Amino acid sequence: MYPRVVITGMGVVSALGVGVEANAYALKKGLSGIGTARFLPTDHLEFPIGEVPMGNDELCWMLGLPPGPTCSRTRLLGVVALREALTMANLQHHAGLALISGTTVGGMDVTERLYPNPLPEGVSDVHDCGASTNAIADDSGDFNYTATVSTACSSAMNALIAAKLMIESGERDIVVAGGAEAMSLFHLNGFKSLMILDRQRCRPFDKTRAGLNLGEGAAYLVLESETSALRRGVKIIGVLSGAGNACDAHHQTASSEDGEGAFRAMKMALDDAGLSTSDIGYVNAHGTGTPNNDASESAALRRVFGDQLPPVSSTKSLTGHTTSASGSLEAAFCLMAMQQGFLPAQSEFENNDDQCITPVTASNALDAELHHVMCNAFGFGGNDSSIILSRYE
Amino acid sequence: MKKRITHSVKLTCQTLEVDGKRVAMAVEGESFLTSLYHAASIEYPKFFKMDLLSKVGFIASEYLLNAEGKERFQPADDRAILLFNRNSSWNADTTFQQTIDNPEEFYPSPAVFVYTLPNIVTGEIAIRNKYHGESDFILLPEMSEAAMDQAIDRAFLDPATTSVLAGWVEAISEDDFEAFLTITEGY
Amino acid sequence: MELIDELKTKMIEALNLEEMTPADIDEQAPLFGEEGLGLDSIDVLELIVLLDRTYGIKIEDPKLGKEIFTSVRTMADYVAANRTK
Repeated sequence: MYPRVVITGMGVVSALGVGVEANAYALKKGLSGIGTARFLPTDHLEFPIGEVPMGNDELCWMLGLPPGPTCSRTRLLGVVALREALTMANLQHHAGLALISGTTVGGMDVTERLYPNPLPEGVSDVHDCGASTNAIADDSGDFNYTATVSTACSSAMNALIAAKLMIESGERDIVVAGGAEAMSLFHLNGFKSLMILDRQRCRPFDKTRAGLNLGEGAAYLVLESETSALRRGVKIIGVLSGAGNACDAHHQTASSEDGEGAFRAMKMALDDAGLSTSDIGYVNAHGTGTPNNDASESAALRRVFGDQLPPVSSTKSLTGHTTSASGSLEAAFCLMAMQQGFLPAQSEFENNDDQCITPVTASNALDAELHHVMCNAFGFGGNDSSIILSRYE
Repeated sequence: MKKRITHSVKLTCQTLEVDGKRVAMAVEGESFLTSLYHAASIEYPKFFKMDLLSKVGFIASEYLLNAEGKERFQPADDRAILLFNRNSSWNADTTFQQTIDNPEEFYPSPAVFVYTLPNIVTGEIAIRNKYHGESDFILLPEMSEAAMDQAIDRAFLDPATTSVLAGWVEAISEDDFEAFLTITEGY
Repeated sequence: MELIDELKTKMIEALNLEEMTPADIDEQAPLFGEEGLGLDSIDVLELIVLLDRTYGIKIEDPKLGKEIFTSVRTMADYVAANRTK
């Protein structure tokens, strides 16, 4: 029997605000954080994005960190989320922690701000993804293990899955996991070149959907063996009861029509949790808003759940697609929904599409007592993941 | 759960070793990787569209799987792919940056951008071989056999996984790359 | 005719069709799917960049791209009618 993996802390920052309280409030009210770029120095103002509503200097001030040209926004967002998670789990001074963090952008925001001028000393040290994770970990000074997962948009969820396995295998009692990703010109232009950015607010699963809006944020969960959490006497806020990762093995970027990888990942998560489809009270979909993802994910959801589909929504309609951070950010949203008993509603949905599931919107969002929820995150490379979070009872 | 390494491949910009034996290779008028592609009689035009990291991982995996000697391209969901490096998609990142450096010649390349995700190499290997199992790309502060070995152990915690294709794949430039891949079977 | 050959050469370069020559590409054959060149969605995006960069043609809707890029012939017709450079 593997140890049960419980959650004892979470920290979040997104376009919905700073901290769990602000995010839960906006999520419950269905307030969108997507708008015109304010902090990213892009010419492409025609693409709405979900920016964290604070500039770098403001974030530095809030955190008591020195601002400067080599200060990466990914790091700042990560530190905001990490501090909140460690505080909630009562781990402010607890040596020997492990951090697994997902990112793809890393310190790119710093590098591109200075490029192509000669880079000042130290920039190359904060650029890469691993350095970005270490800079976040260094804020606490209590981490003696760090690793970075980079599997595109499923990175943060795969970090949670890796952390779960580390605890189950007995390697560690406590692992902090999640992801951090700041907006960068690099990936805004890249996604533009893929022609999957919507000029309007994104409308996941809507017949008129025309692509995604990018977003940014960070979220960390403190995962812990149940024994350790009980021994420390810390409040348990949920259980990471199941996880699955599968490869679509179809195309570098496109998802297969029948959502094979997504189907397998969801099935594996259910099996791992020992639950059946009827136990799931809500699914937080990957739901990016691209024609391809939403149709493929809907096909997979229908294959898994048949005609017993639980309420589904994509909170990317509120935050934008926070890419490598989305898996842990949305897992945190699932925990908030379970704790406070509500279904996160999508904004911007009007037209049903036969190819897609119909998501929860403000008009049909109800209070709900949730015991088990599923959260999906799929990445380019066909890297599809799904986890199940449960109430601790 | 016990495990053993059944096959290994070590590829650098000048040499290829399969199961510890050096593979002799005459390179004329084309890159080392392209020579290896032709020498193994691979017919997969998508190879030429890949970025350097994917090419290195792809070629190393081809020689590894040929050494394994099992029938190729049979759909499988019991083999995980776990790749590691330190510098992520460095080579593709710099190539993509060159397409957006000059405001007068600003044409971000979608085909290059895709490869600024390091895990596309795991996807390429999965697509080629029809592997639907777990896949992961992990960045480590430095090459660590111990860290990779622990990750392989964790992959075996999933009862669906019976073997793992794993290893280090780093691609900085045409004359600075390496791959060290293994197949580990659980028993 | 010249435009067709030019497009073939530029396509081979832009799409890394390493082992092909312009003579291997039938101007009427479908570019996508098993029967033709077997191009995919990312290749469409690269072709859109190619038309923008070389002929000053801007295509905003990738779905439109699929029609233009049915074959080298349809692509050449579109370029001839819409080029700004």
